[in-house]
Amino acid sequence: MRARRLAGIAVALALFVPHLAVAQESYPSRPITLVAPFPPGGVADLTARPVAAAMERVLKNPVGVVNKTGAAGAVGMQFVAASKPDGYTLLLALSSISIIPEADKIFDRQPAFTVDQFAPIALISADPTILVVRAESPWKTARDFIDDAKKRSGQISYSSSGIYGTLHMAMELLSHAAGIKLRHVPHAGAGPALTAILGGHVDALASGPAVVLPHIKAGKLRALAGWGDKRVAALPDVPTFKELGYPDAEFYIWAGLFAPRGTPEPVLARLREATRAAVAEPDFKSAMDKLETPIVFKQGDEFQRFFDADARRLAAGVRKVGRIEDKK
Amino acid sequence: MLETLANLGLGFSVALSPPILFYAFVGCVVGTLVGVLPGVGPLAGISLLLPATFGLDATRAIVMLAGIYYGAMYGGSTTSILMRIPGEAASVMTCIDGYAMARKGRGGAALAIAAVGSYIAGTVSVVGLMFLAPPLAAFALRFGPPEYLALLLLGLFVLAYMSSGSMLKSLAMASFGLLLGMVGIDQMSGYFRFAYGVVELGDGLGVVPVAVGLFGVAEILATAGQATPPQVVKPRLRELLPSRQEWRESAAPIGRGTVLGFLIGILPGSAHIISSFVSYAVEKRMSKHPEQFGQGAVAGVAGPESANNSATSGAMVPMLALGVPSGPIPAVMLAAMMVHGVSPGPLLIQQQPELFWGFIASMYVGNVVLLILNLPLVGLFVNILRVPYPYLYPAILVFSILGVYAVNGSVVDVWIMLIMGVLGWVLRKLSFETAPVVLGVVLAPMIELSLRQSLAMSDGHYAIFLQRPIAAVLLGVGLLLVLLNLYSFVRRGLDWRARLALAEKGEET
Amino acid sequence: MTTERVSGVALALLALAVLEEARRLKLPLGTLATPGPAYMPALLALALLLAGVLIVALGRDATTLGAAGWHEWRHTLAIVIVCAFVALALERLGYRLTIALACAFLLGVVERKGLVATFLFSVGMAAGTYYLFDTLLRVQLPRGPFGL
Repeated sequence: MRARRLAGIAVALALFVPHLAVAQESYPSRPITLVAPFPPGGVADLTARPVAAAMERVLKNPVGVVNKTGAAGAVGMQFVAASKPDGYTLLLALSSISIIPEADKIFDRQPAFTVDQFAPIALISADPTILVVRAESPWKTARDFIDDAKKRSGQISYSSSGIYGTLHMAMELLSHAAGIKLRHVPHAGAGPALTAILGGHVDALASGPAVVLPHIKAGKLRALAGWGDKRVAALPDVPTFKELGYPDAEFYIWAGLFAPRGTPEPVLARLREATRAAVAEPDFKSAMDKLETPIVFKQGDEFQRFFDADARRLAAGVRKVGRIEDKK
Repeated sequence: MLETLANLGLGFSVALSPPILFYAFVGCVVGTLVGVLPGVGPLAGISLLLPATFGLDATRAIVMLAGIYYGAMYGGSTTSILMRIPGEAASVMTCIDGYAMARKGRGGAALAIAAVGSYIAGTVSVVGLMFLAPPLAAFALRFGPPEYLALLLLGLFVLAYMSSGSMLKSLAMASFGLLLGMVGIDQMSGYFRFAYGVVELGDGLGVVPVAVGLFGVAEILATAGQATPPQVVKPRLRELLPSRQEWRESAAPIGRGTVLGFLIGILPGSAHIISSFVSYAVEKRMSKHPEQFGQGAVAGVAGPESANNSATSGAMVPMLALGVPSGPIPAVMLAAMMVHGVSPGPLLIQQQPELFWGFIASMYVGNVVLLILNLPLVGLFVNILRVPYPYLYPAILVFSILGVYAVNGSVVDVWIMLIMGVLGWVLRKLSFETAPVVLGVVLAPMIELSLRQSLAMSDGHYAIFLQRPIAAVLLGVGLLLVLLNLYSFVRRGLDWRARLALAEKGEET
Repeated sequence: MTTERVSGVALALLALAVLEEARRLKLPLGTLATPGPAYMPALLALALLLAGVLIVALGRDATTLGAAGWHEWRHTLAIVIVCAFVALALERLGYRLTIALACAFLLGVVERKGLVATFLFSVGMAAGTYYLFDTLLRVQLPRGPFGL
């Protein structure tokens, strides 16, 4: 009697275990959704699509990009944070992932999501921002600009893609590092911010290099300095703020792949492997070249360190900015 | 001039080559489809099909995406006229007189006028794009926050001309709409306003769910329960085309709409929506029979439809001439160019003549294709009205929900549409107009942002509006219009008192 | 109880509610030189309040609330409930199932059409629109249980 029951259990287990093993190995067995929390045509979207295409080729499994836009990325990020950690919903996030929860905190709001709700997979690109001014403006070097800003505190204006956005935080980091005060004119997105400086309505802009490069080449804008660790490849004569003596002014508009926390380790490992193979693909490289976005690939501990350092910098920056309404 | 024609010749040789022609055609068909579907507008359509263009070369991609853009403007009038559901936000004004014409049996005529007006506007505006792109683009760049605010305030004044009923009620609806536009993240300070923890409301209610709800869903809620189904006069084939009288009435509005739409389209922002509102107001003001507006005035269809088509060409001006996006749709097209390795910028026209002129030529071709597509379809579309209403309205509801959901993939939008639908139904019963609400939702965030940006630029000094020439001129024009209207208002009031006094005197004697 | 009085009062109350909410959410008002997030909403709420009061005071339309014609309210309510169901169920039951159920209810129960017609229409509508959007336009529509 007992033997039969034991045998029955053994058989059940025996039938079950291969199923489990198969279930583990068979990731991915369904289409994967890569959530891009920005509208189509934006930087995150344009990075997400080659990534998805390359990973699809590597994993031999469909990877589809879904745009979940809203609230400067918060909608998409919240969606992934709350989704099932089974490896079928991934997020391509920009550096704003560290900014949004901080901003929520200083407004005493329930945060839409927190950074620790995500498991980082890999960093794909890290565009340093560059400072551009109009070609007709009197500042020929970054030093001129900073000196003038010290003299005329609060008079030099700059546009950004929105308050607490990436372009705003870059300028804020510089302002704190150099001890200057600038006048911030927020706009509704990077496009309007660019239009504003081209039209002469503001004096300066911190921007990702890809968007402003054509205008620099055409002689409409001048790049003064960059927020990166190294000089931008396409602009070898433009110094970095680090070189100029402001090491705290370091900012990247980076794009990284994340999964919800709780995704099983083997799945994460598979994804990391896949991403590494994906960014090495020639098709992916050429796609990123066309976007003038250099591939900066970091994984594992390296990415974690980069991410933590960046998050700390940005959180401190956001706290320093505080609630601007309170400062009036 | 000669050089332009030579370039155009180059362009046509590119545009008429079979592969490019094919993609333009695909773009136009998809655009019409996207336009006909309620809620899904050109932005959603282009965003959805952007990935499909990655395998193509730059010219084909741009030609197809542009086809979707102006094709949607053609298609948007169809549901607006036949069912009072805006195909996209820019077709809201067409709902008013277009549907009234359809009720009178002139639906086919309305569709035809919309198609022809769109064609003329589309073609003429491409001519403008061809010759005037660089200087116009430079002019458009000079519109900064103060100029934009002055223009929007003028646009707000347009509301006064939109009402066919009580002006006070329209102003109340406008205030309500403007208030609705205040929901969302405040771009200047980072506060979440009236969002109550719903992250999806961060970007505001969204003009698409509001428009589809207030017009389409409200219409269904009001009509579905009627004991007698809506009597639509079913026209015969001959009656499908506009009469000579109707053509005459639409000529001038088409012309005005074209110019107005093009100029407004050049300016940065979601201008193409405003172009149809402004055109409607201008037509009403210039009409000899303003009381017809709301009852089926031909000008009320011809003007707005032409305006929103030429606004699409206008929107391409800064994009092509300067590499600067004047709105979300040109931004997507710029991205498409970047993905294909074409770097948009001030030198685009010189560096990529085949792209630019091929694109221009394909717009001419595309407009012809759309006219040929849309005119015969008028007969087909009008027959949709023959479907018995109990079957028709569930279908319309499904498409509306689908369209609204598809824009952002968010159920919150569906809820907004539903709530606005109920609200629209109640407002109809209480005889309030709903068009000012939509205009308010569109204008409010732009007006507030421009005002606060201008003050940020000038460090709090209101004098900035007078120091900048364009802004000062626009404000001056606005002030003049307000004074003129006050004057005629006061005069009518005095008239009324005088007549009353006379009447009383007459009674006494 | 004219429509004008009711609507005017409703608008005025809404305006007051907005002002109160802005205060409760602690939105800063700012100054005239640097308007805060509450500035424009407050102005607009005041304008709405004024409009509401004026409508009550000057309204000459004497239609009573009842005469406005609400007799189709049951039908309207049914449609609203169906739409609310769709909003709730869309992401839980998946697109096709939700739409099919909604159409079936509208046609079968509200409009009292025959069984066959209702079934054909509902299934056709759900499947057809799904195909149109999912396959042709590549919009991701939610899938529910059974992959529907």
